Amino acid sequence: MPALGRGFSAALIVAAAGFLIVPFKILAAPIEPVMGFVQKIFYFHVPFAITMFVTTFTAAGGSVAYLFKGSERGDRLAEAASELGVVFGACVLVSGPLWGRKAWGVWWQWDARLTSSLLLFLILNGYLLARRYGGPGGKKLAAALSLFAAVDVPLVYKSVDIWRTVHPQTSVVPSLDPQMRPAFWMSFALVLLVWGVLLALRMRLLDARARLAELALAVEDLEEVRT
Amino acid sequence: MRILSVARSFVAGAVAAIAMNVATGASAFAQEFVKVENAAREQLSAPQFVGAAYAFIWLAVLGYVLFVARNLAKTRTEIAELERRIERAGGAPPSGAGGRGG
Repeated sequence: MPALGRGFSAALIVAAAGFLIVPFKILAAPIEPVMGFVQKIFYFHVPFAITMFVTTFTAAGGSVAYLFKGSERGDRLAEAASELGVVFGACVLVSGPLWGRKAWGVWWQWDARLTSSLLLFLILNGYLLARRYGGPGGKKLAAALSLFAAVDVPLVYKSVDIWRTVHPQTSVVPSLDPQMRPAFWMSFALVLLVWGVLLALRMRLLDARARLAELALAVEDLEEVRT
Repeated sequence: MRILSVARSFVAGAVAAIAMNVATGASAFAQEFVKVENAAREQLSAPQFVGAAYAFIWLAVLGYVLFVARNLAKTRTEIAELERRIERAGGAPPSGAGGRGG
């Protein structure tokens, strides 16, 4: 993809290599004694969840720039990041119940972590709906929703420590078996890289659409002058 | 008439449920744990759950990449078309500050 730049192509190649290497690292990591093989879902469920937080904060940053400085670029960043939040959130909310079904015997529990994660996913969806169907003030309404989503992130993260839940606590990653760490961190780096590539790609699309709108206006002006 | 018919069905259902409870002694069972015999066991193995989660995630990412790439290609074609129209009309395409600038 020459039009997308060398940095983008390099990131794409590294991501493709990661797709080939990381699954083998995950399979080679020791099997967790209590949950067994199904615990392998952890290696991509958790990185996707953390990246969902990262993209939510990115969207909130873009929304702040849009709300307080009128930055259109910030607005586009918020839109791209929120859309990715929905994609990554869907991955978290599907991989989690698949793990839970095997580990806990149930697909879903209305506990604090799961419910607040679902709420975050719904707020991000709300952002996209407000932009699309919110009318003239939709963009500002969406930007405000993006800030609410960012407020929900610490609640999602700390919910397992504050309330009694079936979900593992925040101490899992820091206390991870040293033999499991390389697979986890490699997976996390890959997911973060994929997120960066997708964000850049989505931003390019939004920039291209802005350019298209600009050109359409220029064509209209020219046609008016001619008539 | 329709309301009466619905109400009649509701009363008949309630009577049947009460009769079943009395017959099986369900109210007594509800006070204690009952061993479940021949319960349905999980049919899928752990690797299948892991595979399903992994497949969903990467299909979602791949689907998103294809969606964005297709839209980007389409938008770029439309941009090129509009730029040609402007040039044919003797104008100069706008500098593009609105496309990237804030």
